[in-house]
Amino acid sequence: MTLAAFIERSKREKEGWRYTDLEALLASKKTVIPAKAGIPLGSAAENSSARLLFKNGVFQPKLSTFGSVPSCILMGDLASGYSLTLGEKTCLVSQPIELVFETDQESSEEIPLKFSIDIGDNGRLTLLENYRPTPIPVTVDMDVTLRPRAKLVHGKIAAGGPHLALHKVRAQTGCYYSNFSLLRGSAPARHELDVALEGEESQTSLNGIMLLRGHDHADITARVAHKAPRCTSRQNYRSVLDDASRGVFQGKIAVSPGAQKTDSYQLSRALLLSDKAEMDAKPELEIYADDVKCSHGSSIGDLDENAMFYLRSRGLNEKEAQAVLVEGFISEMLDALQPNEWREIFRREIEAWHDL
Amino acid sequence: MLEIHNLHASIAGKEILKGIDLTVPAGQVHAIMGPNGSGKSTLSYVLSGREGYTVTEGSIEWNGEELLGMSPEQRAAAGVFLAMQYPVEIPGVSNMTFLKASLNAVRKARGESELDAMQMLKLLRAKAKAIGLSEDMLKRAVNVGFSGGEKKRNEILQMAVLEPTLCILDETDSGLDIDALKIIADGVNAMRSPKRTMLIITHYQRLLDYIAPDAVHVLAYGKIRKSGGPELAKELEQKGYIEFSGEAA
Ligand SMILES: Nc1ncnc2c1ncn2[C@@H]1O[C@H](COP(=O)(O)OP(=O)(O)OP(=O)(O)O)[C@@H](O)[C@H]1O
Ligand SMILES: [Mg+2]
Repeated sequence: MTLAAFIERSKREKEGWRYTDLEALLASKKTVIPAKAGIPLGSAAENSSARLLFKNGVFQPKLSTFGSVPSCILMGDLASGYSLTLGEKTCLVSQPIELVFETDQESSEEIPLKFSIDIGDNGRLTLLENYRPTPIPVTVDMDVTLRPRAKLVHGKIAAGGPHLALHKVRAQTGCYYSNFSLLRGSAPARHELDVALEGEESQTSLNGIMLLRGHDHADITARVAHKAPRCTSRQNYRSVLDDASRGVFQGKIAVSPGAQKTDSYQLSRALLLSDKAEMDAKPELEIYADDVKCSHGSSIGDLDENAMFYLRSRGLNEKEAQAVLVEGFISEMLDALQPNEWREIFRREIEAWHDL
Repeated sequence: MLEIHNLHASIAGKEILKGIDLTVPAGQVHAIMGPNGSGKSTLSYVLSGREGYTVTEGSIEWNGEELLGMSPEQRAAAGVFLAMQYPVEIPGVSNMTFLKASLNAVRKARGESELDAMQMLKLLRAKAKAIGLSEDMLKRAVNVGFSGGEKKRNEILQMAVLEPTLCILDETDSGLDIDALKIIADGVNAMRSPKRTMLIITHYQRLLDYIAPDAVHVLAYGKIRKSGGPELAKELEQKGYIEFSGEAA
């Protein structure tokens, strides 16, 4: 999907874009894209055995490391889209794949990425998308197919710059799909997940953190469709908003008739560091089955003044005290993050945000 | 030396401190006693720079330096430490992280180098052990789910780690069992030094049996109404604060 197609879509699907006026946001150019990534490239994930590099959206096999992963794992090109296919019972868990996206200044107006991921019966994949900061708009159109009992552990870092992504996931019987995404500043960012649990006993766990300041605007829209019985879904999001930034969380749980014994849960919590920051959280439940367990919650709060004083009376300045409280606010998310080696990667991205 | 002159402070438009005069020489330990609501915690907050209080008159000099106008962290750097009556819970932040961040901040402000991870761990373990807190308590979130007594011990642990020169203890003894009281008193006594000044707010003579004060002051209705030696605490224990109630207006 190109940028124009995204804008077109946002106009057509007004309700789903109520808090994010994409065209106006793209035109405003108010957000400053951090010049430094905060983290020297090449260090982000030494542990990944496969690190596939994309420059301006073009896959660079020669600059990539594959480890024990076959180099034919990724096919296609920028124009026709990339595909990543995992055969039956293929397991790439101990060799996670990291896709790193970099741009240079002279490149085009936009980078339209298309991915199609297909994981065969009983296949296992751990995949991290890592978008380095860039002023060039990046669009991501990703289709994921999980065949019976397939498992995808999916992570994403959008480290800054216009980022528009639609991840569509279709899970067949007994699948597992997890997503952990970090949006760190943006102008604007839309991270959209559309997960359809089409087969029985599938599970999904969608998690994320937004860190925003200045005039950043980030929107996380997560939809889970329970279409078969005995599926489980979890949504857990934390947003930290400073200055005049704005965050949006739209979480939808739709349970089809017949999707009995659905177990579904959603939580969004936001921490506002400034009076001018704004968070819009919209949970949406659409339930057409009667034997289901669905719960949701959302909270928006300020920094705890008592805790701020406590920390400052122990010598931390305002900025340091705030960073400690922000860390505390998101720590339970990081503690639960799998695989373990991602924890350090995400933690460093978060630290870098404090230092920017 | 701590010198408080004619300190007036109000909160939400209500005057709580109505002209406090108090001098505590370096190396001395002074106790402050007084009825509930008389302004003891207010005084401790105003000394440590908490926002929300309006100081309308007076001065607080610490070793010749005016504290009013300094931020809480500047005061911490100048050696001020408040062991709070109600220690704050900070979910998600481990006690270890909190102590490390505090010590490094204070060391930086004093122009000392930061400690590396190993040095820090050794120091924190030793200090926690001395105060009777298990290593497990260092890993838990700051004060979250701590019992009343554990919270108070945690305050003293922070004091022992940060080594401040002006220690203000606001009812650190409340809620402590007899053994804990002794441990805390030992911790405090170990820190007595000619360079360190301590202000101990308490309701009970019992603590002062362990930590012998150089002087005792009665803070009632926003002012120091009476000062004396350790015997004053014993007298108050018997007579209460009736004799000061005439000052209520
Ligand atoms: N935020 C506030 N708004 C209004 N009044 C307040 C506020 N904080 C404190 N006060 C009032 O100030 C007075 C002094 O309170 P303070 O906590 O200093 O008393 P204290 O001497 O420490 O009492 P205690 O022995 O019970 O701890 C009390 O009457 C209290 O209600
Ligand atoms: Mg009090």
